Amino acid sequence: MLKTEGQNWIHRLRKRWITLYLLRIFAISLAIALVLSAVFVYVLHLSPWLSAITLPLVLAILLFTKPIWKASDKDFSRYVNNKYPELEESADLLLQNPAELSMLQKLQLAKIENRISEISPPKEPVKRLYLGLAILLAGLLMSFAITKIPQIQKAYQSVASNQTSAPVMEENIPAEISDFRLTVIPPVYTGKSERKQKQFSVKAEIGAKVNWNIETNIAIKNLKIIFNDKESIVLKPQNPAATTWTFSKTIEKSGFYQLEVEGKKSDLYQIEVIPDLPVHIKITQPKQRTTIDIGQPQKFNLNVALSDDYGINDAFISATMASGKGEGVSFTEKKLSFNTSFNNQKSISLRRQIDLKSLGMKPGDELYFFIKAMDNHGQSSRSDVYFVSIVDTTELMSMAGMTNGVNLVPEYFRSQRQIIIDTEKLLKEQSTLSADAFKTRSNDLGIDQKLLRLRYGQFLGEENETEIGGDHDDHDEHAEGKGEQEKFGDVTAIMDKYAHKHDIAEDATFFEPEMKAQLKAVLTEMWNSELRLRTYKPQDALPYEYKALRLLKDLQQKSRAYVAKTTVKTAALKPEKRLSGELDKITQPVQKMSAAQKDQRLAHLKTALALLESRKSGKKFIEGDKFLLSETEKYMIGAAADNPATYLNALTSLRKLSAGKNLQTKNIEIVQQAIQKMIKGESAKPQTPVALPASALYQNYFHNLNKTGR
Amino acid sequence: MEFKYIAITLCLFLLAFLLYKEFSRASKARLIWRVLANVIAVACFVLLIIPITYNTHLKQSANEIILLTAGTNPDSVAKLKGTKYSFASAEIKGIKANSIPDLSYFLATHKDIRKINVYGYGLANEELKNLEGYGISFHPSEKPNGIISANWLPEIKTTEQLKVQGVYQNSNRKNVKLLFKGLGNSIDSIAVEAKSTKSFSFKNQPKQTGSAIYQLIALQGNDTLAKEPVPFLVAEQPQMKVLILASFPDFEYKFLKKWLYDNQYPLAFRSQISKNKYSSDFLNIDSLNLNRINTASLKKFDVLIIDEEALKAIGPDERQSIENAVNTGMGLFIRISNPKPATALSGKFSRFESPASKYKPLSLLLKDENYKFPRLPLEQTLFLKTARNDQPVIIDGSGKILVNSTIIGSGKILISSISSTFNWLLSGKTDDYAKYWSEILSKTARKKLEIQSVKTFPQFPSINEQTRFVVDLAEAGKVPLLKIDSIKLGPRQNIELPFEWDAVFWPTTHGWNNLSVNQSARSFYVYRNTDWQALRNQQKINLTHLFADKSKNQQRKTATTDLFYQEDVSLWWFFIGFLFASAFLWFESRILDAK
Repeated sequence: MLKTEGQNWIHRLRKRWITLYLLRIFAISLAIALVLSAVFVYVLHLSPWLSAITLPLVLAILLFTKPIWKASDKDFSRYVNNKYPELEESADLLLQNPAELSMLQKLQLAKIENRISEISPPKEPVKRLYLGLAILLAGLLMSFAITKIPQIQKAYQSVASNQTSAPVMEENIPAEISDFRLTVIPPVYTGKSERKQKQFSVKAEIGAKVNWNIETNIAIKNLKIIFNDKESIVLKPQNPAATTWTFSKTIEKSGFYQLEVEGKKSDLYQIEVIPDLPVHIKITQPKQRTTIDIGQPQKFNLNVALSDDYGINDAFISATMASGKGEGVSFTEKKLSFNTSFNNQKSISLRRQIDLKSLGMKPGDELYFFIKAMDNHGQSSRSDVYFVSIVDTTELMSMAGMTNGVNLVPEYFRSQRQIIIDTEKLLKEQSTLSADAFKTRSNDLGIDQKLLRLRYGQFLGEENETEIGGDHDDHDEHAEGKGEQEKFGDVTAIMDKYAHKHDIAEDATFFEPEMKAQLKAVLTEMWNSELRLRTYKPQDALPYEYKALRLLKDLQQKSRAYVAKTTVKTAALKPEKRLSGELDKITQPVQKMSAAQKDQRLAHLKTALALLESRKSGKKFIEGDKFLLSETEKYMIGAAADNPATYLNALTSLRKLSAGKNLQTKNIEIVQQAIQKMIKGESAKPQTPVALPASALYQNYFHNLNKTGR
Repeated sequence: MEFKYIAITLCLFLLAFLLYKEFSRASKARLIWRVLANVIAVACFVLLIIPITYNTHLKQSANEIILLTAGTNPDSVAKLKGTKYSFASAEIKGIKANSIPDLSYFLATHKDIRKINVYGYGLANEELKNLEGYGISFHPSEKPNGIISANWLPEIKTTEQLKVQGVYQNSNRKNVKLLFKGLGNSIDSIAVEAKSTKSFSFKNQPKQTGSAIYQLIALQGNDTLAKEPVPFLVAEQPQMKVLILASFPDFEYKFLKKWLYDNQYPLAFRSQISKNKYSSDFLNIDSLNLNRINTASLKKFDVLIIDEEALKAIGPDERQSIENAVNTGMGLFIRISNPKPATALSGKFSRFESPASKYKPLSLLLKDENYKFPRLPLEQTLFLKTARNDQPVIIDGSGKILVNSTIIGSGKILISSISSTFNWLLSGKTDDYAKYWSEILSKTARKKLEIQSVKTFPQFPSINEQTRFVVDLAEAGKVPLLKIDSIKLGPRQNIELPFEWDAVFWPTTHGWNNLSVNQSARSFYVYRNTDWQALRNQQKINLTHLFADKSKNQQRKTATTDLFYQEDVSLWWFFIGFLFASAFLWFESRILDAK
């Protein structure tokens, strides 16, 4: 049947529609498939093959939800009728056989067919296709973004892991081992939970138990674990198929181990022990040496900060009091506790006020104390010893120093003592005195104190009453001078103006700077005491008076000279008589010793170093060298057992070299560095000087030169 | 027909056509100019195709040549007139030069040559020998970049320091880092600033026994400029025999004895108990009678340590035999504690007392190395004065001498006023104690005479270059047997010194080679030809300079003759002419004519 023009038109429209639709669906499904496969592969880490299936799958789903190809020409004619009013609802006439049409229908058909050619095809599917392409673009962008997620994660993780643990070392695992897991169970006292790792290198707290769970991909007859190349343990399989193996061990010391699978040895893996440190004690108050002066409260505050890596169990103060003097010193020991409970804190700050009086200390006694702390593993540590002493006032008041001779400036000292005695007397009589009388006497004492201060001030060159310790208030005089009438032509006056001319009063005396400083301190104390006395507070003045006295006493001690005792004169020796006894019975002692052949270790290591150096230039090891290398390996195993972190790498490299597969300069250098570390400091040895071969000619020359008499 | 004739004919046709066009043109304005321009344009065009040459001449001495050697800067010799020659091994890119396979052959065949202008790094010693009698003028190229001098001992003893010293010349615009590396460790480094020359000195105590190759690496950023090998040997130390005569046993002796014993030095120790009664210890040595000291017993020892009291207590004949022993090479170390000398031997050094500064521990300084020892808690009052032939060994902080040395005959005497050094051992400074006594004993001990010595020339023997060994023997007149691996060398006796022999060898393999002299083998290192390049170039420059200076003193007459040669006229001239002529034609027809 020949198709009419109208039928063709509808057909074309359908074909175009379906093609565009399919394109759109393909674009959309591609977008979805891209995003999905990106998620599968990069986020969920599934097989990349999955992405190959996603596209057909998504496409099929989309196609079957709306099977467009089922849309017939009739559907399109209906659509066209709706869309284009100029067809006058007669589009389906186009599809009918023209022969079967009635007259009217034929007329209508002819009318429409003319119009059809003018109608442009619908824009809708094209617009939708653009939408589809937009979705594809979005899908592309999204999938690209998803592929970047792992990198971002990695970056985050690496930042995080850098902060938490050491970088994971690359390990070579025997091929037979399909899976393994290490469980580190730290000791209970550490309070740490057990942790699992997929790494053979172990870093564990001291005393931790480590479990190895190893799974092999084939049945294995024997699996050994060798510690420090010495201790070899044969493991027993956990299942009849001999593919699961476990082993556990308590780690007490650093070292290394390796697995032996069917006689094949694996790489070396290191065991590093994190030691448990004792409690760290820091005393912030008081100072190491504290002196409590009279008048000060006889107590002090003790501030301590304790810290430990796992927990503190206990801490106390161990105090020793020394009382008495000279040979009559007696000691009493006491254990003082901090009144707090220790709950295994990692750090704690403690404070306690220690009342010396309640400890039974009197003036002149000394207190020595230290702090002892225990961590939860039972390790104890103690702090330095601290001293607290109470000044004995009676000794200050004693005349012992005065009576025996050297007495440079006695009157001043007596005066200070007198002031103290008077002050104490005044305080005692306070209740019996009237207020006015008390004030007058206190003021009088203040005047005495002032006079004394001024007299001492003279030692420092102070003549001005107002100054203490020699502060130059008189600098102002230059400024005041400005107002005065200027004297013209007076050279000295002009010079005075520009030169800072007055003497430095202090330097006029003959004291050493140290002594001067102490004198100044005395004056300050006196000044303080005078202030209190003048304001009728003799009680408050008393500590300053005592301190002034103590400082003066020290000064007095300092100015003393020490003269040693003269020797005793003995009878003169007769040299001719000395060593003249009979000696024939005395035998001459002879000792003979030979140093035992020293350990060959040093010699071996040194030769090995040169051997490796020659290997670097390409020389192969010969039989004799093998022995030397095995010796070196033995020494290095010993070193590696103590310090796996330092020597384990070198040991692995050394084994590679001994196996002699291929030469790698880097391996040699690692081993050389390790050997040099093992040799450590070598102290100097005397060098025998060497002269060139002395032929007869040289000898003759020398002899003749000697003969001519140099 | 040749190409140039075709070109000329074609151009003539072109000119004819152009001229016809000019004359047939309507406008006759500036006709002559246009014709002229046409002629010039065509003529220049032809000359562009066919370059013209002209003959010129230069006054040059006929018997003078230019010799280009390695390192010649092409720019500097490009303008030089005259024939250039270069070695086949040192061809310079972009410079036409006649290749000389062998200089001596070339000179023999060109008898007329009297003067040679040498450019580049110059010539090696062997080649310079061929130029004996010629006038040389040397134009060195710029300074070589790298290590231009380096020195170290090829063989050291255990615990001795390896010292590598030299000069680095940096002619680059960037800083260079010079790194000293050995046994897998980077030992030391210095930075050499741009455009500067800096001397370096690296020190290390190598830990191996046997051979090792350290490296000097020059780095510029991440680039390695050079990697020079520093081969050396570490040999075991021969142990010196020590005799100690003490007037009474004190702690100083006790600790010294223990230290020597622990280090396995053979030691005999005698201390006086009473009159003519001695206690003696023989450590790591066979016992011998030490009651009387004589020349025979002293011959067995390298060092004698004695205190002044003991030296005074022994008989005069014993003292004489000690002096004789020192004369023949033995070392003597005298400890003194009194300001007045008691014997003639110890009186060779004058001493003085100076009040000790209070509470100030004694600080000692090793004079040679400027090494500072830790302080000793001593109040030292006795010091030594120097005389003309003395060499101070240990001084204190203020420069006063505590240990002094002098030579007597072929031996040495050291005198020390330090009463005790064992405090170092007590305070755990074992290394310093060892350093002190090592230094003292090394300075004192009898010199060990070698049986033979071998010197190698040049400093850096390399593959296929002549290497000369100079062997010194203890006994004269006996032909030494020199062997390298299995190759026997033929030694040649020195005419003046009968005990000196030399032999020549051309190494073929780089690395350690074995030379055996009378069955005693020793290693020597053969360098690659690329090693120490800068240094060798500098040496060449220095040698050639020296040679040129010498030859200046015997300046010869050199005849000058005219040298004819052809020179091209630069094409630019013709191009310019062509351009101007055609520009005029264009300008005339477009602008001047358009009006």
